[in-house]
Amino acid sequence: METPRDKIIAELLEIAPFLGRTAFLRAPYAVPVGYFTSFTGMLMQRVRLETELVPEIGTRQEIAKISPLLAGLQMKNPYSLPAGYFETWKVPFPESEKKPAKLMKMGTRTRVIRYAAAACVVALLGIAVFTITKQRKITDPITDLANVSDQDMANYLDSDDIHWTPGISSTEISSVAFNDNDIHDLLSSVPDDELEQYSALLPEDKGTVN
Amino acid sequence: MAEQTTDTELLALFREPATREKAFTEIVKKYQERLYWHIRRMLVDHEDTNDTMQNVFIRVWNALAGFREDAQLYTWLYRIATNECLTFIEQQKKKASVSLDEVESGLSNKIRADADFDANKLEWKLQLAIQQLPEKQRVVFTLRYYDEMPYEEMSQVLETSTGALKASYHHAAKKIEDFIINH
Repeated sequence: METPRDKIIAELLEIAPFLGRTAFLRAPYAVPVGYFTSFTGMLMQRVRLETELVPEIGTRQEIAKISPLLAGLQMKNPYSLPAGYFETWKVPFPESEKKPAKLMKMGTRTRVIRYAAAACVVALLGIAVFTITKQRKITDPITDLANVSDQDMANYLDSDDIHWTPGISSTEISSVAFNDNDIHDLLSSVPDDELEQYSALLPEDKGTVN
Repeated sequence: MAEQTTDTELLALFREPATREKAFTEIVKKYQERLYWHIRRMLVDHEDTNDTMQNVFIRVWNALAGFREDAQLYTWLYRIATNECLTFIEQQKKKASVSLDEVESGLSNKIRADADFDANKLEWKLQLAIQQLPEKQRVVFTLRYYDEMPYEEMSQVLETSTGALKASYHHAAKKIEDFIINH
């Protein structure tokens, strides 16, 4: 009966005859003595550690278990230090880093100065606007006539050739300044029929025209 | 525990907390040599093989409770071992920032550096020839040539069709023969 190995050799002889004739050369690698007998124990130790089948032990106990020699050397330090080294040692910062950085405090004083400056500007602007507005004020001529002195007013009227005597009312002026001859002269150019029509409209005591 | 304990029995014992460790130890003892040589032929160096072996069995310990018996235990173990080998090679490549070709030439150098290396011996030439193969062909060739694994089982290990595996094996054997004859 043909075994699986026979099948493989037959196949190999067909594909690669040289290789087929040397079939199943074992790998020439060497394995450390006792490797396979110790492998299971070594593996199970790792399995127990990785799967926490054993409680975690302290580092000193751990190294003592693995190697008592190393455990004995663990606390022995062969290096020495100058006396008081750690007491005097400081972090060697560069010179520039020793100076404390200047802090610019934005306090109350600065804020007050700012507000005062703003108030001054507003006040100056207000004064300027007020002054300009006052200069350009439009005065009411009727109201202001009360402030004009009588003499000034008389001078003004004289300059315009207006005859006016202070202290006499306008009714008195008409009665004083005009006489019948003046009226006659003024009305001489007006036609008679127009004067008669006007006279008819006037009340009876003033309707007489000479 | 009897020598003849089957995989099914070992798995049943593993599922019981009281017999879990003992069953696992038996599984390790049963398969350690086969897996060791599978890994060693891939990685060459014993220390690398030992590290990978431990990683493989740690994975097995963590995943075995969920193993479904629709596949054979040993093909499942080979699958984990193969994946661990490929992961190891990938990590080596990343660590050294080198290409896969350089990793392979590194493996050839490791073979030459072996204390027992003899360039005139056919078995050493064969190892050098295997390291010239692409990764997949290397796995297929070693599983068939050294582990005498049927294509059906190899198909489960590598999740590849038997036809593709036969073709890979064919190419690999040809290349190896050419290498041995010409070197």
